[in-house]
Amino acid sequence: MNMKKAMKKWILPLLVMVLLLSAALKPALAYFTTYSWAKGGYTVHQESRTKIEEDFSKWTKNITVTNTEGEPVYVRARAFAGSAYALIYSGDGWSDGGDGWWYYASPVAAGEKTASPLSVKIENIPKAEMDAGFNVAVVYESTRVQYSADGTPFYDFSQTLDRGGEQ
Amino acid sequence: MTKKQSRTGIRTVLLFLFAAVLLVVGGIGTATASPLIKSEYYSGGVEMYDIGVTLCENGEAVSSRNYTKNERYVTEESYAPLLATIVPEGEQFHMGQTYSEVLTVKNTGNIDEYVRATVYKYWMDENGKKLTTLSPDMIDLNLVTGSGWIEDETLSTTERTVLYYREILPIGEETQAFSDTLTVSGTLPFKVTQTEKDGVITTKYDYENVTFQIEVHVDAVQTHNAAAAIKSAWGCDVTVYDDGTLSIS
Repeated sequence: MNMKKAMKKWILPLLVMVLLLSAALKPALAYFTTYSWAKGGYTVHQESRTKIEEDFSKWTKNITVTNTEGEPVYVRARAFAGSAYALIYSGDGWSDGGDGWWYYASPVAAGEKTASPLSVKIENIPKAEMDAGFNVAVVYESTRVQYSADGTPFYDFSQTLDRGGEQ
Repeated sequence: MTKKQSRTGIRTVLLFLFAAVLLVVGGIGTATASPLIKSEYYSGGVEMYDIGVTLCENGEAVSSRNYTKNERYVTEESYAPLLATIVPEGEQFHMGQTYSEVLTVKNTGNIDEYVRATVYKYWMDENGKKLTTLSPDMIDLNLVTGSGWIEDETLSTTERTVLYYREILPIGEETQAFSDTLTVSGTLPFKVTQTEKDGVITTKYDYENVTFQIEVHVDAVQTHNAAAAIKSAWGCDVTVYDDGTLSIS
């Protein structure tokens, strides 16, 4: 019984002492600190869709490439025909790459097309083939516009896909 | 009530009063206020030590947190997104192009301080979810170590870099830059994953419609009792030399 009374008598003062100690502890451990932060970024897109349109008149094919949606692209085009035919290329903004392809100089943005067509004039068609029919096939390629460190746009049609994440 | 019970009650009340007096005295003691004589009129003032830090990007303040004078628990804060001004108006962000991203830390408080910067870089999807399968290495924030900044390599990962400024940063001063340029790899458009199902091959861009993020946290701590303060605030062991420079232990 006496033990119980003694405990009751000291519990309150002990609690007060603990409170006092904890109050003194806080300032001892406090240091001047502060912080700040910020974040930011940009969303990147890779996809683009292009289509080719041709019209044919006066033995000339006129080729136009349109970027229907997505990121800006560079385009190149060429035509294939029998060796007997001569194919004469021309077009503002197009230049001979020396590798059989003709390159359009400017990037084509989404919703835009090559400002002037690549014209391919077909010459020296043998009379017999002219009557029987002949084929001149046009192909084109597009590649994503790349940028150098200083922001200059360029193309690299030799760039291959990196299938590092192939499943 | 017996006489004995009454005595116990009085003793308890006295102890309470004693404890209250101790609390009040203790509170005054920890305020560490120092009176300043300001004029011949003998008016007094109290100078408080307020710490503050500001993250700067290309010479402009981006975010800050400063304790205001005489009100330790009131802060002045500002925040602006990073990278918002690196692309000229009317242009788009280009992968492969190198942009100026000079990041520094300024002491905007009224006490000297030590500072550190933690840089995170990562990718997110359109819902803001972090994409851990995409490489942070494709985001090249060029960090300038050796110019006053040292990297804690034990804490660094491909996503996070922790940098400490070796010198004391005096009031109003700015650190040397801990980064100078930002380039996101120009090879991203060519990274794809191909899958085949029922003879149909599907090619998918790995980095299509994803957002890269640069996140920078700056911390500041007092210079007084610096090693203990840094250990307490940042959780790391440092050695502080006589000239005020520090190194990671």
